[in-house]
Amino acid sequence: MSAGPTVLGVTAGADGTLGDAAPDGTGPASHAAVPLALDAVTWTPSTRSRPTIDDLTLHIPAGQRVLLTGPSGGGKSTVLRALTGLLDTSTGDLAGDATGPTRPGERGLLLQQPLHALIGGSVGRDAAFGPENAALDREEIQRRVTSALHAARVGLDAATSPWDLSGGQQQRLALAGSLALDPGALLLDEPLSMLDRPTARAVRAAILDVVGDRTLVVADHDADGWAPHVDRVIVLGAQAHVLADGAPDDVLEQPDPAATPDPATAPDPTAMPAPARASGTSGTPVLSLSRVSIARRRRRDEARGKRTIASPLLEGIDLAVPAGCVAVLTGPSGSGKTTLLRTILGLADPAGGHLERPEPSRIAFVPQEPEHSFVARTVRTEVTASPWAHDPGLAESLLQRADLGHLSDAQPFELSGGEQRRLAIIAALAQEPALLVLDEPTVGLDQERRTQMFALLEEATARGCAVLAATHDPDLITRAHVRLDLAEHGGTRDDDAQSASPEPAATGTALALAPATAPASASASASDTTLRPPRRPRPAPADVLNPLTTIAIAVAAAVGSFAIDRWQLGLLSCVLVAVLAPLAVRGVRSTALRLIPIALAAVGLCWSTVLASPLPVFSGTTWLLGLKEALRIGYFVAPGVLIFASLDPTRLGDALGGRLRLPGRPVAASVAGLVRAGLTADVWERIMTSRRLRGLGARRDLRHPLRSGAALVRLLASCTLALLVDAVRGTEQQALAMDARGFATAQHRTWALPSPFTRGDLVGLAAAALLLAAPWVLRTVLGG
Amino acid sequence: MSTGSTPAASSARAEKTAATGASPTPAPTPAPASDALARRPLPAYRTVDLVLTVAIGVVFAFVFLAWGQVYTLFTPLQAVLPPSVGLLAGVWFLPALVAMLIVRRPGAAVLAEVIAAVLEMVLGGQWGIGTVVSGLLQGGGVEIAFLVTAYRRFTLPVAIAGGALSGILEWVYERFSYYPEWSWASAWALLGFFIVSGALLCGVLGWLIVRALGATGALSAFPAGRQWGRRSRA
Repeated sequence: MSAGPTVLGVTAGADGTLGDAAPDGTGPASHAAVPLALDAVTWTPSTRSRPTIDDLTLHIPAGQRVLLTGPSGGGKSTVLRALTGLLDTSTGDLAGDATGPTRPGERGLLLQQPLHALIGGSVGRDAAFGPENAALDREEIQRRVTSALHAARVGLDAATSPWDLSGGQQQRLALAGSLALDPGALLLDEPLSMLDRPTARAVRAAILDVVGDRTLVVADHDADGWAPHVDRVIVLGAQAHVLADGAPDDVLEQPDPAATPDPATAPDPTAMPAPARASGTSGTPVLSLSRVSIARRRRRDEARGKRTIASPLLEGIDLAVPAGCVAVLTGPSGSGKTTLLRTILGLADPAGGHLERPEPSRIAFVPQEPEHSFVARTVRTEVTASPWAHDPGLAESLLQRADLGHLSDAQPFELSGGEQRRLAIIAALAQEPALLVLDEPTVGLDQERRTQMFALLEEATARGCAVLAATHDPDLITRAHVRLDLAEHGGTRDDDAQSASPEPAATGTALALAPATAPASASASASDTTLRPPRRPRPAPADVLNPLTTIAIAVAAAVGSFAIDRWQLGLLSCVLVAVLAPLAVRGVRSTALRLIPIALAAVGLCWSTVLASPLPVFSGTTWLLGLKEALRIGYFVAPGVLIFASLDPTRLGDALGGRLRLPGRPVAASVAGLVRAGLTADVWERIMTSRRLRGLGARRDLRHPLRSGAALVRLLASCTLALLVDAVRGTEQQALAMDARGFATAQHRTWALPSPFTRGDLVGLAAAALLLAAPWVLRTVLGG
Repeated sequence: MSTGSTPAASSARAEKTAATGASPTPAPTPAPASDALARRPLPAYRTVDLVLTVAIGVVFAFVFLAWGQVYTLFTPLQAVLPPSVGLLAGVWFLPALVAMLIVRRPGAAVLAEVIAAVLEMVLGGQWGIGTVVSGLLQGGGVEIAFLVTAYRRFTLPVAIAGGALSGILEWVYERFSYYPEWSWASAWALLGFFIVSGALLCGVLGWLIVRALGATGALSAFPAGRQWGRRSRA
């Protein structure tokens, strides 16, 4: 074992000094780089009988830059976790010595999927999460946030929502989140594998810029990209056995077969049979688009406000995919790949042009997350789960082809990532589709698994299936017969990829009009890093209220409603609500959407009261009693339903944690969960969609409520399970990212923004008092 | 508070090393239910416990939105027999039970149910602040059932009792807040439907969901994963 000489400093850009010093000179005093050490560490997860780390000793001196590489499943991630000091000893047996950090955030951690590392409801609050956990005061938090956002070159306004950013921007934001605690070491777990090449290059440059003299450990199966930037390469084999350890040149010059794929055994990039390459026009295309234009999808934050008519995202798309042909759809995130796929799948209508595709039963779809489509208990039944998969013999032979035969009785969810992808593809092929559509089929897979994937795609084309894949995998692009590049024809480039040169050779053409909704295109210098609550697209007067006032208003009305003992009083009280309502209303349509369910509930309550009250059914008195109940329930719920449209989870957290001093960790974890609820909604929609595309959607038939009810319950149960699996898998990564930012010990955390009571709250509390007292006063006045 | 962080790690390490020495190879069968408990002290939530509890609440807020469609299908029945509205109620108690069966720490049921309620409320659920009151009571019902066992038994009968108890508490609230004008005959019928639904749609269904989730191997970081998870194929 040798610590190689310090080979290379920062290679990416002249301003590599940004790392520690804040631009305004007010940054935190820099902590020194820290050494990392594992001594005779053996780690056996309680679900395994053999250790995943077997007697590993590893010393990394302060300031050294190390690449951990080796094949998937070798335990790189676990070793990285041990180096971070975050192995959870309640989930396995740890022997040996893995010393943890001495202060919150001493060891910063970046994950493969940056979404898991995002915690705050805005860019600024996300960067502030670590300093809050370290219980810093507000001025210091603001300084740290400003300095970290600049250092990581996030270049976004602090109030921007983090959820719609591109992968590259999210990874930079995650980097800023780590830098805000001024780590002495940065540990990176395949931080670039979900990004396309130009974006990956740009993010790597941003990371190297801020490393400075910090210790750096990168776990990545792609050794080549990192090798020029590290002092030392460690190759890990099974059970984290060290296969090689030394200077990059020494280790990587004699490539270990396990470390980097041997060019001789790597698949021939032109191996895909090319029926269409020679004669691109042979046969009628299975899928053809001519002059198709695609409308922009509504964004999440717009969904609450008024619906705007968006300019087309893409226009003039021509594409023809004949049988037995592989077509790829390329372009950076935001260029409309997903929307175009949805249109081709029949989930959205093209805004214009002509689109020809097979019948729904002849199109099969493999989502990026194969787990979203799984419905069956075993791998074998999963293959034939679709009603459009008729041939059990075919299913059996596909299982063998995909090398899943020995797993046919296993549970689909318990397969590894690569196995799940292959299962989803053969389940699609079992439908004998004319068109197979895949969304990023190789992302996150190592070379061996990608080779298996290519073999399956060959299997598909050999069966005469037309294949269309949205991808940024250069190998897959090389193998394709047809390429439609949305970027080359003017589609928005990822902000991180500006320096990239477009790649050649597209046979399809597309013309993009306006750029996609860029989450933020502001340059680093123009962005405002001041922490503040995000402004809503359509403000309502009630938005200024402290969340506690909001709750007081809702509770006051609910208590007041118990005074309503006759319909006249109910009517007067509801008039009061109607008078106050404009203060909480932000639009006619959104308000109607909130009020209609109340109206239906009130009608239902009126009807049930008429039937179930002790009075004679359907008499005049009974109807008036029902009317009173309807008005009473309206008064009970309507003020709350209206005012909660103004409730912001982050501000609610500031009020409950900062002002009421409720326990900090549960409150902060709840806020973190609520602000990412939109992502859960997206996953739920994808899960539902993948079932519909497999012919497994529910048909509601009011003539057979029991049968369709049971079918619906079955569908919901399967979707719920898939959504829960997705949530649980994300949970572990999120918790890891939070603990790396000091959350584990954040019992006495601070809150980056105050939760003030203003003059507006006086008005709000007056409204609450009025809603509480008015029905009781009116009741006395009306007498009884 | 966290068991994964440094301060606790040294003592935990010693403890674990000793345990490894005693039984180097864990048994290849699922552990009995009594062994699959959260590490003590119980109120010491690990970050992953908190995050999962909240995530379960968020997931079920969206399940709730979809569950509304089932209500539409049953409208004709409810129009004839109003108390039958209680038949579908058990699903509202699910986040509490699912979180408790997985995390196995005090408060998990209430926290998950309140998160689901708050999110449903913010998304525009029709019961406004009443949703949160329901959330507290429904979470409380499940919580009480497991509290009675001192958080030591996570079996199907306790799950059913928890669902039924949530049904009873929710009935008390709805009887006096939503249906005060109903005759007692109707109110008792509603209570019966609530209990049956709580026992089946919450107790049994929730238990089945957690068992299925454990079989996926996704719960390996939680007590439920040790009870239901299979040994790795490796």
